[in-house]
Amino acid sequence: MHIPDAFIPIWQGAIYWIIALVFIALALRWARNEMNEEKLPLVAVLAAGIFALQSFNLPVSMGTSGHLVGGALAAIILGSPFAAIFILTLVLIVQAVLFGDGGITTLGANIINMGVIGGFVGYYTFKGLMDITRSMPVSVFFAAWLACLIPSLACAVEMFLAGTFPLMEGLVAMGIYHAIIGVIEGFVTVAAIYLITAARPDLVDTNVNTPAGA
Amino acid sequence: MMDNKTFIIAGIIVALLIGVVAVFMASGDPDGLESTALVVQGQKDLTGATPEDAEIEEDLSGKFSYSAPMPDYSLGDAMGQPGGIVAIVIGTILAFIVVLGIAYGLKAAGKTAEQNQ
Repeated sequence: MHIPDAFIPIWQGAIYWIIALVFIALALRWARNEMNEEKLPLVAVLAAGIFALQSFNLPVSMGTSGHLVGGALAAIILGSPFAAIFILTLVLIVQAVLFGDGGITTLGANIINMGVIGGFVGYYTFKGLMDITRSMPVSVFFAAWLACLIPSLACAVEMFLAGTFPLMEGLVAMGIYHAIIGVIEGFVTVAAIYLITAARPDLVDTNVNTPAGA
Repeated sequence: MMDNKTFIIAGIIVALLIGVVAVFMASGDPDGLESTALVVQGQKDLTGATPEDAEIEEDLSGKFSYSAPMPDYSLGDAMGQPGGIVAIVIGTILAFIVVLGIAYGLKAAGKTAEQNQ
């Protein structure tokens, strides 16, 4: 759901950029103050992995394909939505500037959708479900699924405001496609968390292995 | 348990493998946003296949335009899949370096600020 330059007027893109910059500033503050220095290797490896996985489009039927976004993965495994904003912002900048995947004026909107909304939805859905179900894979799967679906609906609203999509048609199509793409997001996120936990359990946020409050 | 160096090397190798396999195996179908654009433009049915000749119409008035050096994760049609592999490898390693560099820089700057207090 990388929005290209052609889909949003410059002035609206500027508004999304301003909002995004506020969250980027908060994410940089998180990285400076909260990010444990021992987690630096995981943060950087996650960026490389999320970049690579985002290039892997899988067919999801209906003439459409989709790939992992990674907001939920970063937020859950590092224990903060700001981790997702930090990593996704930098990955999205590399994609837009070097590969034309997502626009420059629309980069703010893409950071808001995939980094901010994806990160917050993924993290808090995971925390809430973990309290209720006490099951890491179930909580992660649904958190990642929602962290794909909700940003796509936000994207549809932005497309409506930009005059690019009609509201209902855009919401329905974006919702249907990303409800299926979200299944990829769910499975890949669960698999990645198992893999990273097996390799380095000490780097994974404690909420992943022990339900909050337990 | 893996040490940091092994973890980083293993992580980058896994990422590079995923990226290289993607060059050969990734689906060329439009993504969710592109498909939606084709649907609202009447070029594709909501649940149907994407027609071969479907192309997103872009209204560029009042919009910004930018030409990326490696558009669509390729070095152009002439370079084909090897070009795609080069693009993905550059992108994956750059994502790693940029994130590590900025994270490390922020931590270093934070420490200097603490010492000066």
